[in-house]
Amino acid sequence: MMQKGRRDFLQAFGNATLVAGVLGAGLLKPGSARAVEFNRAAFDAKTAADALRLIGAAGAEASRDILLKVPEVAENGAAVPIEVVSQIPGTTRLSVLVDKNPFPLALQFNFAAGATPRFQAKLKMAETSRLRIVASAAGRHYTIFRDVRVTVGGCGE
Amino acid sequence: MPDPIKLRATVKGNEGEVRVLMPHPMESGLRHDPSGQLIPAHYIVSVVLSLNGRPVIEGALGTAVSANPLFAFQLEGVKAGDRLAVSWVDNKGQRGSAEGVFSAA
Repeated sequence: MMQKGRRDFLQAFGNATLVAGVLGAGLLKPGSARAVEFNRAAFDAKTAADALRLIGAAGAEASRDILLKVPEVAENGAAVPIEVVSQIPGTTRLSVLVDKNPFPLALQFNFAAGATPRFQAKLKMAETSRLRIVASAAGRHYTIFRDVRVTVGGCGE
Repeated sequence: MPDPIKLRATVKGNEGEVRVLMPHPMESGLRHDPSGQLIPAHYIVSVVLSLNGRPVIEGALGTAVSANPLFAFQLEGVKAGDRLAVSWVDNKGQRGSAEGVFSAA
């Protein structure tokens, strides 16, 4: 079953890229949910290094002030629970990357005044991978990572 | 139409805790149906959370967010009766939204 999953995964790349292209071209507008100033192209990046570069965080420095709670071993890669808290003053953005996913950038949240830079979410992880968090504050970027072992991947089926 | 959003907004002291479940397939575009046909990508790309009409959290999502996204957030300076709204847009231009009111935990 794992074998089949992997093959479907690779075959599917073309289609995913097509959809991503349509989005990137701005043909599908976010509309009334307000313009969110994110670089959508970063979500199309196929490597963590490219995604980091596109979100402007290639030079992020390691920080112990980002707390990341995630299981060491995820039995279900389709829904890996994470909790992220940034204790870096002035944090306005948190980004989540899964290095080995076909598209590593998973999500980004912007926090305005009144919102605590923390959240819980559930991620799909295709396979055992490094999970990275980037916190952005006052134009600087900080990062922490954790390796998560996935026993059943959660992208292709 | 997808199922309605489930929204829970509680206040403890002056902290507001928000839990939101947005029913959505979050199809990655990488999966096949039982007949071998590729299932097209269909996923939420944008989420906005507003407190009393002012956006406080904006999210950009990729395909790696799990199906039926469940998020928890924390807001400060919140009191019972404050209004909370959440809305999303997906890659097909479909939308969903819900409103709630903070209540004491």
